Amino acid sequence: MNRLEFLIRRIVASLFVLIGVSIITFMLARVVPSNPAAVYIGPKARPADIERVTKQLGLDQPLPLQYARYMGDLVRGDLGNSISTKRPVLLELQSRLPATLELLFAGMLIAVLFGVPMGVISAQKQGKASDLAIRVVAILGVSIPAFGLGLLLQILFFRWLGLFPLSGRVGKELRFASPIIENTGFLLLDSLITLNFTAFQDALWHIVLPAITLAAYPLGLVARMTRGAMLEVQQQDYIRTARAYGTPERVTVFVYALKNAIGPTLTVIGLTFAFALTGTFFVEIIFNWPGMGLFTVRSLLNLDYPAIMGIALFGAAGYVLINLVVDLVQAWIDPRISLR
Amino acid sequence: MLLKRFAWLFVVGMVIAGCAAPAAVAPAGQAAPDTAPATPNVLTVSSTANVTTWDPIKSFSTEAEYLANLYEPLLRINPPGAAERFSPVLAESWESDADGKTWTFKLRPNVKFHDGEPLTADAVKQSIEAAKDHAGASFIWAPLESVEAVDDLTVKFNLSYAAPLDLIASSLYGAWIVSPKALAAVAADENYFEAGVEAGTGPYMLESYTPDQEVLLTRFDDYWGNWQDGQFDKVLVKIVPEAVQQQQMLEGGEVDLALRLPAENYASFKDKPGYTLLTEPSFFNYVGFLNTLRPPLDNPKVRQAIAYAIPYQDIIDVATFGQATQARGPVPAGVWPYSEEVTQYATDLEKAKALMAEAGFADGGIDLRLTYAAENKTEERFAPVIKDALAEIGINVSIEPILFNQQWEEAKSDPANAQDMFLLLYWPTYSDAGTDNLYSMFHSSEAPFFNLSYWKNEEFDTLIDEAAMLTVTDPDASLEKYVKAQNLLVDEAPGIFFFDTKAPFVIPDHIGGFQYNLNYPFATFFYDLYRNPAQ
Repeated sequence: MNRLEFLIRRIVASLFVLIGVSIITFMLARVVPSNPAAVYIGPKARPADIERVTKQLGLDQPLPLQYARYMGDLVRGDLGNSISTKRPVLLELQSRLPATLELLFAGMLIAVLFGVPMGVISAQKQGKASDLAIRVVAILGVSIPAFGLGLLLQILFFRWLGLFPLSGRVGKELRFASPIIENTGFLLLDSLITLNFTAFQDALWHIVLPAITLAAYPLGLVARMTRGAMLEVQQQDYIRTARAYGTPERVTVFVYALKNAIGPTLTVIGLTFAFALTGTFFVEIIFNWPGMGLFTVRSLLNLDYPAIMGIALFGAAGYVLINLVVDLVQAWIDPRISLR
Repeated sequence: MLLKRFAWLFVVGMVIAGCAAPAAVAPAGQAAPDTAPATPNVLTVSSTANVTTWDPIKSFSTEAEYLANLYEPLLRINPPGAAERFSPVLAESWESDADGKTWTFKLRPNVKFHDGEPLTADAVKQSIEAAKDHAGASFIWAPLESVEAVDDLTVKFNLSYAAPLDLIASSLYGAWIVSPKALAAVAADENYFEAGVEAGTGPYMLESYTPDQEVLLTRFDDYWGNWQDGQFDKVLVKIVPEAVQQQQMLEGGEVDLALRLPAENYASFKDKPGYTLLTEPSFFNYVGFLNTLRPPLDNPKVRQAIAYAIPYQDIIDVATFGQATQARGPVPAGVWPYSEEVTQYATDLEKAKALMAEAGFADGGIDLRLTYAAENKTEERFAPVIKDALAEIGINVSIEPILFNQQWEEAKSDPANAQDMFLLLYWPTYSDAGTDNLYSMFHSSEAPFFNLSYWKNEEFDTLIDEAAMLTVTDPDASLEKYVKAQNLLVDEAPGIFFFDTKAPFVIPDHIGGFQYNLNYPFATFFYDLYRNPAQ
């Protein structure tokens, strides 16, 4: 009951957040001194044509009215047509979202799978060489900007070693030899479902470099958070008790200590997950990953306000959703946390 | 003990993951596309060109790269120096009457659109009428009064005044001939084409389109031009906005051609075996507008001083790595009505200083605000050169990069308070820089559009208006008037004419048939290309 009530309250509150975001984005996109109609029609259109398109797009109406109209369509699930591609924004988002999410999940998976154990080991070996090495890796991960790391990885693994492909989601040979039949848009999943292992491997190789680039920052953060929390927990009485009882060290560390230390790490994972939602954009551009990032840049440059609105709302909704999930997971792991 | 193993596992985990990769990836990467007979002959290229619309009538942007292979115009204009000025495409022959106001085109028989419809005079009439009505470049058809389908394969164009319809009909924008079936469909549903639908007569058909990712073209077997061995069955265009990416893909053999590779990424191929480098003239031209509405730039002497102070060669070296030539006025070399008789300024600081003194600014003390398009990397490179050069004659320039649309909006909306200098990259819509470059950038108008010097000169206006009317009937007299107008323009210096850019191309040895046509800078004709047999 408690949990349901919490959920409803949070969802209602989230709606207000989204409405706020929509108002701010709408106004910001429209106070820029430039005419989307002129962009829509192209660089050499005559003034009369621009006027015609201004009317056609409804840009001659007062802003509040335009906003009301936009929200009216939004409620009906219509995000309008993109100015720069002339296709429905919803379709544009849908077709790019899987690529971004696939990269995001791969990146976060690396960050968590490597970050948490790195943090634990670092805490166990406090002051030793492995602790130092992990801390250096963590600090590098947090401080190297994505575009720098991405380019470095490309030079190292593509140019010099030739291990991984440079960019894109699948290779050109595959395009004709064994094309992936897309169901979900997640290429790794799609190729597995259809038992197309050549394609699976190709897609996997393509995602490695961008995923590592994306993972660097959260990985560093997660490792440092885990290390800090573990150091604290390990000094507590119950750990000493466990050790005194002769519980195997592995169990003590990874079950008893980690379970208590994971709380702050989880919060960080949630936050960086949401952060990475837009952080993928840099990575996408470096690796020519056909996700939301390229579309966002293009929309911003073209004053494509229906697309900008769609992207902003999507980003905000993602943030809200992820934070909600983190809160629920926290409560599930630690019963002392009450959802309010 | 166990923990120690864990430590090593995770610290070097990523490196191990990386090293494990090569054995498995090699076969996929080295699959030779030519060995298996079943695999199509595919040309893979990278391009920066985005698709803003698939509607061939509305198109007025970078999608021309693809549309030029899907659709065809009546004629195509050849690069300067060719034996014939035009090549017939969908028209077999054409003529204008003596006064240049009636043009008759005989169409090529037995041409099919991709949707199976035959090419008829009526299809041409409908396409051109749609273009005049609502094309992105509808203004090119301004002289057109009516189109008549005389018989099945004869079309007659009636103009309200003499105009070079051959040039207009060979435009890259607003002159595609489209299947009447598709025109009817788009009349009913405005977004009919946008899902990636096309209905042209060109050598290639659009097989698939993934926004921001790739465009896949496949050959049209019934193409009137027929097919030969070696020509490509499919063309896979990867849309890659980043130049460095394109360069790497070309070097790594991921693509056969990198179209639109910028000048700075071109040099790295100079000493590499296996590539041919081409630098072709283009019809892009960089202009700097001086705001003639207010002091001190309302004084021609100050404007001339600036024109003399600009180090043209330095700008070319910095901005284009030497891939450009100093401009003669706003008409790019090789495009009508370009002429060697138009004067150029040579950098001369002494003269510039003398002119400043004459204008009453011997001690300088002038502050000017220069704006350029923030997304234009070339302008970003040479704007500081202008600042340094003008500092020499006592002019302090503040540089402001703004996104092009905002820069343009500011310049149009309030000229009196707008920028002092406006850098612009310009190109003519079709190959007539008289009615485009000269008219659009320097003819006076009530509200500014691209004439961002806000210059008003009646003599210039009259000269180019008269010249435009004579283009068809008396080209020599027309050119004479255009040259006179341009010399007047250069002397009055409402604009600074920096350079005409060159288009650099890197062609790997295994690709043959590459032809560049400066009249179609946004298009690559894949039909010309073929795979050279391996040496």
